[in-house]
Amino acid sequence: MKKLVTLFMVTVLASMAAKTVLAADTLADVKKKGVLVAGVKDSLPPFGYVDEKTRTIVGYDIDFINAIAKKLGVRVELKPVTSASRMPQLQEGHIDIIAATMTKNPERAKQVDFSHTYFFTGQKFIAKKGTVKSLKDLEGKKIGTAKGSTSEQNVKKALPTATVLSFDDYPQALLALEQGKVFAVTTDEAILAGILAKAPNKARFEIPRVQISDEPYGLGMRKGDKHFVDFVNKTILDMEKSGEAARIFNKWFGPTTQFHLHRNFKITAGK
Amino acid sequence: MLNYQFDWSTVTSGKYFEWLASGVKVTLQLSALSIVLAFILGLLIAVMRMSNNRPVRWIAHAYLEFFRNTPLLVQIFFWYFGSYKILPTAVNDWLNSTNFEFAAAVIALTIYTSAFIAEDIRSGVLSIPKEQMEAARSAGFSYLRSMQYIILPQAVRLTVPPLVNQFLNLAKNSSLAMTIGVMELTYQARQVESYTFKGFEAFTAATVVYVAISLVITALVNIYNEKVLNIHKAA
Repeated sequence: MKKLVTLFMVTVLASMAAKTVLAADTLADVKKKGVLVAGVKDSLPPFGYVDEKTRTIVGYDIDFINAIAKKLGVRVELKPVTSASRMPQLQEGHIDIIAATMTKNPERAKQVDFSHTYFFTGQKFIAKKGTVKSLKDLEGKKIGTAKGSTSEQNVKKALPTATVLSFDDYPQALLALEQGKVFAVTTDEAILAGILAKAPNKARFEIPRVQISDEPYGLGMRKGDKHFVDFVNKTILDMEKSGEAARIFNKWFGPTTQFHLHRNFKITAGK
Repeated sequence: MLNYQFDWSTVTSGKYFEWLASGVKVTLQLSALSIVLAFILGLLIAVMRMSNNRPVRWIAHAYLEFFRNTPLLVQIFFWYFGSYKILPTAVNDWLNSTNFEFAAAVIALTIYTSAFIAEDIRSGVLSIPKEQMEAARSAGFSYLRSMQYIILPQAVRLTVPPLVNQFLNLAKNSSLAMTIGVMELTYQARQVESYTFKGFEAFTAATVVYVAISLVITALVNIYNEKVLNIHKAA
């Protein structure tokens, strides 16, 4: 028995040691491998979702990754992640960069390094038309969201009396809303607009003018990975200058799309 | 070397400990309720499965095959999301105003596990010589009464070890309830992880609790064996 325990402990420690990622220089590694592995969403239009025709993952986040990879001169490999799995995946070295609608906040910044803000939105709700006029209408109700997202944390702060039900991802949360299992679904407005556009009976729902937080999105990289962070920041600042960043925004959210969003931000250093 | 700072205080005190504790409570409620119901339902299905009435036997057989051969996760989603499509609006509205997440999880766990329990009980019954049933019937007991007084008491004894397995499986399977928003232990461990990024500590704590629950279930059954059934383990 003693031998077994020792063996077990040794195995566990060995496997943990094998898992640790050296304080990496991702920039050099990616160039050497010739591939940039990115963690993206695959069911969250228009940020990252599977295109029905081509069967590949496309979206706003993916276009940014493609631009960064192009500048590096490497190919792209996309790995689907969830809000809960994306940070562990990065820290364990399964992916090099997170481009998955990740809100920048101080707690996360202790664990990962963020790029400048490449998308800016605010947290709102989807509810049945006419049911929500102000935040008061949501007090004491069941609110749906996705696990591990900042949405979940914000809504608990803004509505302490509400019951928050967290689902694995937004499609299930929307299904719960359609079936009346939750009174509203909450997350960033841009994501809600994407969910609503895809919903089968979207005429019954709306996004009321109730906002509970600002959500700046950043690309996530391993802590202390300075060369790579600098490179990514420089790349997206150049994209802003050349107009490519605005073009990507308009392609997915602009007047020609179903979202009709107006770009109310610019990618700037120090943000 | 490991570049991870362990911080056990995250899960042993304060707010996050309370979250985990509330998760433990829900896991225990979910497991205990489902174990009791699954055992009762399993007994019923086993008796139906061995009935002489052909339609009754077939219904039980279909039930067994269907619920043993579909993934539990699919069944959980079926009871939670799928039931909406077949129930009348009034029932749905009432369900949505209750804690339906918990109820759907109990229903799914109960039905799924009862199918396995029924098969275990049936194999126990089949190992009792059929002359006993004949003797009971000729002594004037009805089929159900013979089962109740003569066959099942002996069969359940033999069935105890596989039943323990089913109870343990159920306790661990209850973690799947988090997929429909039931705030049980695994759900809370994930919550703690997403707030603190101390996933290793949170899931270690959860693991310890699951092991403890399993050991308690095993111990209880052992006590039942010794004290109630007077079965003593071969030394």
